[in-house]
Amino acid sequence: MLRRCISAEWMKLRHSRIWMILMILPIISVLIGSANFYMNQGVLKKEWYSLWSQVGLFYGEFFLPILIAICCAYMWRLEHNNKNWNMIMTAPVPATGIFLAKLTVVGVLLLFVQLFFLALYIIGGKLAGIASDLPAELAGWVFRGWMAALTIGTMQLALSMRIRSFAAPIGIGLCAVFIGLGMYVTHLELFFPHSLLTTGMGVLSQTSLSTGESVLFAIMNLLYIVVISTVTIHRMRKSDIVA
Amino acid sequence: MKAIGLELYKLRHKRLLLMVTLFLFVEIAWAFMAASMSISRNPNNAEWEMLIALLSSMNGLFLPILTAICVSRICDMEHKGNTWKLLLTFSVKRSTLYAAKYISASIIMLVACLLQALSIIAFGIINGFKQPVPLILLIRFLIGMVLTNMVITALQQWVSMAVKNQAFALSLGMIGGFIGLAADLFPAGVRRIFVWSCYTGLSPVTQSYADEKIQFIVRNTGSLLPGMVALAVAGIAVYLAGSVHVSRQEV
Repeated sequence: MLRRCISAEWMKLRHSRIWMILMILPIISVLIGSANFYMNQGVLKKEWYSLWSQVGLFYGEFFLPILIAICCAYMWRLEHNNKNWNMIMTAPVPATGIFLAKLTVVGVLLLFVQLFFLALYIIGGKLAGIASDLPAELAGWVFRGWMAALTIGTMQLALSMRIRSFAAPIGIGLCAVFIGLGMYVTHLELFFPHSLLTTGMGVLSQTSLSTGESVLFAIMNLLYIVVISTVTIHRMRKSDIVA
Repeated sequence: MKAIGLELYKLRHKRLLLMVTLFLFVEIAWAFMAASMSISRNPNNAEWEMLIALLSSMNGLFLPILTAICVSRICDMEHKGNTWKLLLTFSVKRSTLYAAKYISASIIMLVACLLQALSIIAFGIINGFKQPVPLILLIRFLIGMVLTNMVITALQQWVSMAVKNQAFALSLGMIGGFIGLAADLFPAGVRRIFVWSCYTGLSPVTQSYADEKIQFIVRNTGSLLPGMVALAVAGIAVYLAGSVHVSRQEV
């Protein structure tokens, strides 16, 4: 059943040109970050690490969460239009399937964004003339970034399902970015989805996480995903919809 | 006037102003936290110029996204409710509807700008800044911010009305925020192309680093005037292009 739901979600994305939106942010981030790195190589001497700090800072800290919010709002856009809520809730599929299918599709799209960003980062570094080996932490930054992005995605999906407006959940996501930054500064980074992204992607500090921290990081992400999904699915089952 | 009143009437239960105020509160809280930390490190930094420069640079990130959200909500309610046809059956020109939406969005963003200026005054007084409130500097800060906002509102409204899918309008806002934040890293020639860089470009106070110290330099009005005129012309052009394009679109 879940497979059919996922296939239906993919079909809804046909001709949506969402790939354009997903690709533009990594391109701009890497372009600006690499250009800044190239022009300030006298100060930025830690090669790949310095480049990551330049391309990843704005991308991971501010704009990836907004991109996730846009992507999640888009996933519910069709349901909020043309009384489609009635249609989807009367379809012979469980509410769990509907929500998890959307979450899976968001996860795949975000994985594509992360991998595209990684490819651009490597190309940018090579073009800037970095000859050393890639940092060992790179795969961890990208994967942990994806995990935290999925957590934020779950939160945004829940918000966008509840709020009919396309833009309002994105605004809430923007506020959450700043709350996350505050949590990071006060060393409570493992307790809020947006600060988990900052920690996981190593955007403010490139120091790698210890094994214990990595386990705690994964547990917190999983906890957020499970709790938010359960509450949202419960709400879908129990509350009446307004089409 | 009646059309503007009706637009604002349609927004009465949308809590749009509340949302804008809350977002602004987050930005202001963040900026003032940074200002407080700077003052506690060096009490000589307790000056109005520092506050204006700090908020100008944060506006580059925040206001393009906030404007995109605000304009998108005003335009999307017609797309979502399928009310375009209903609106066009009244004896109102499409350009009037377009203008009414533009003015109501601009009013909301103007309130946001005024709140920022008032919060600067409040912060300065509470922290006992030695200099008196620099009204002229604040007015110049306001003019630059409002002018930039109006041009960005025109651009966002064009996209939000022409493209039903609001993901594109909000992505433009996001890209604008990115460019606004990173504007100071661009060469001056490139900076001029992007309207989002005008939050810092038209700010009456600029920052410069000399001997590893930040200095706040007050620009004179004459140096900002050509930029303001060019921006106003660009704004009028974008508004007219948007209005004509949307008016000719099939509903």
